Amino acid sequence: MAHDAIVAEELAYWYGELVAVDHISFRVAEGEILGFLGPNGAGKTTTVKMLTGLLRPKAGKALLLGMDVTKNTKKVHEKIGVCFEDTNLYEQLSAVENLRLFARLFGRSRFNANALLKAVGLEGREKDKVEAYSKGMKRRLMVARSLVNRPEVLFLDEPTAGLDPTSAESIRSIILKVRDRGATILLATHDMMEADKLSDRIAFMNQGKIVALDTPHNLKQQYGKRSLKAKVSTQSGELEDREIPLDTQETPNAISELFAQEKVVTVHSEEASLEDIFIRITGRGLVE
Amino acid sequence: MNLRIIGALISKDFALFFRNRFFALVTVLGIVAYTIVYFVMPSSVDESLKIGLYAPVMPPVFEQLQEEGLEIEVVESDEALREAVTEGQYMAGVALPADIMEKLLLGQKTQITLYFASDTPEEIKDAVGVVIRELAYLQIGQPLAIEVSEEILGPDMIGMQIPPRDRLRPLFAIFIIMTETLGLATLISEEVEQRTIQALLVTPMRVKELFAAKGTIGVGLAFGQAVLFMAIVGGISSQPLIILTALLLGAVLATATAFLIASVAKDLMSVTAWSIPVLIILIIPSIGILLPGTLTGWVEVIPSYYLVDTVHQAANFGAGWGDVWRNLLVLLGFNLAIVWIGVIALRRKFR
Repeated sequence: MAHDAIVAEELAYWYGELVAVDHISFRVAEGEILGFLGPNGAGKTTTVKMLTGLLRPKAGKALLLGMDVTKNTKKVHEKIGVCFEDTNLYEQLSAVENLRLFARLFGRSRFNANALLKAVGLEGREKDKVEAYSKGMKRRLMVARSLVNRPEVLFLDEPTAGLDPTSAESIRSIILKVRDRGATILLATHDMMEADKLSDRIAFMNQGKIVALDTPHNLKQQYGKRSLKAKVSTQSGELEDREIPLDTQETPNAISELFAQEKVVTVHSEEASLEDIFIRITGRGLVE
Repeated sequence: MNLRIIGALISKDFALFFRNRFFALVTVLGIVAYTIVYFVMPSSVDESLKIGLYAPVMPPVFEQLQEEGLEIEVVESDEALREAVTEGQYMAGVALPADIMEKLLLGQKTQITLYFASDTPEEIKDAVGVVIRELAYLQIGQPLAIEVSEEILGPDMIGMQIPPRDRLRPLFAIFIIMTETLGLATLISEEVEQRTIQALLVTPMRVKELFAAKGTIGVGLAFGQAVLFMAIVGGISSQPLIILTALLLGAVLATATAFLIASVAKDLMSVTAWSIPVLIILIIPSIGILLPGTLTGWVEVIPSYYLVDTVHQAANFGAGWGDVWRNLLVLLGFNLAIVWIGVIALRRKFR
């Protein structure tokens, strides 16, 4: 049975009167990807900062790999990688220099910067100053930097925000490779598609609280409305829509009647999206 | 303290400093420009007072005027004397009347005219007037019934006045040191502004190692450049240990000041805005050396006074440890206080 790599117990943080994180608790197992889904200002970044030791929790406790983050900050930092939401690279240095600096900080003497840059698709531009990079290249370098120490726990805060689909997909494939080698990943994002694709479980965060936490499948099962949608041709030759709710006692009969009595042109099932579920739970959208 | 981490941070900051074209240029140009200005400035002080004299009849006592510090040149006419004084050939012109000897011998009053250019300092006018009156008394055999004796307090600088360029050395040294305040403050504030500090803070690096690295790079750059400049202009040939100690403490002062500025500034513009008044204040004590007598006791509240005074005393007067220990101690005290405040202020900003 996998141990918990991340444990948050009643974590809370507030800025003056504003409660950013309101006593949240959750666990992430080793090798698991937990998607942290919520709109801007929901408290995702503050939670990541507390879990990574950048902020001292006002209340509660954060444990990483069994260590209290506030008491063993340095040891925790040796085991984690963090990719921040804002690009914070040394723009006057090259990609290689950026990675080598962090490798030295982590004490990795035999670090192969070029291999890592190749893995994130930055080969050929290793020696260029980062200021000359495109936004997508900078994000890839940010991800590469977070992997310099082969972290056991990886925190990714909006890793694909604002990227073109190709760059975003390339970063997603890197994330999956990292998970495949056994790392635990906490993925804070407001991109529901991304969370759906990558996460083993998803935590919905809203106004500093976790309002739902489960696998994408279970969330959809629990909160979503599945249905069968069909287009039928009427006697006058016009197309009309038919919708049959799934998961009810009447569903089998309704489907039989549809095919027996009407001329079905197209038919497909429809699942609720994470965004639909989030709106249903919180009454607000993911992107505001 | 992890030396590997500190070393990594220092190499990073060193690279960033010299990749910032502005600071790289200012650093190199500063040393080159100050060195050129130093060597262009006069290397000696002309202590003589050059006076033009028109004398249709030369009284014997005036012939003895070629004394120490008084250089007399006889001109042919009153008109030529006026012209020469106007053109600045002489500090003063003395025109004697043709009947001077007759009137002096008869005990009558005579008229001696002194010519001065419009920008002649008042003290030169007074001095020349006194000299002429004394000569007149001597000529008529009535010397003043007083005896004047001179006592020089401190080193007697007659004949070995400090050349202007040597007075400028402490000023240039402090310029070089304090310029690094601007550079280091910018490096730190950029680290905060671009949030690279956050990336560092999630590595095994500790904040004290970050301060150690920033402090080392700041002190190293300021001290290295100041020593280089002083070595080029011969400023450490006298009392090198004292001067190096003073420059090192000055570099620490510049670094601590940079910490303070970086704790309140947000970007290059605000670093510059904060740095300029601070640098002006820190440079004020150098003016007292350049223009003696222009500053009063209040200047001792400025920390850089103890740096400038030490360098000046040691480089120009050969002052020893016994003369400057108090200066160095006070400077060290200021440094400890400013470093402490700067580190606390910056720590808050890093969070």
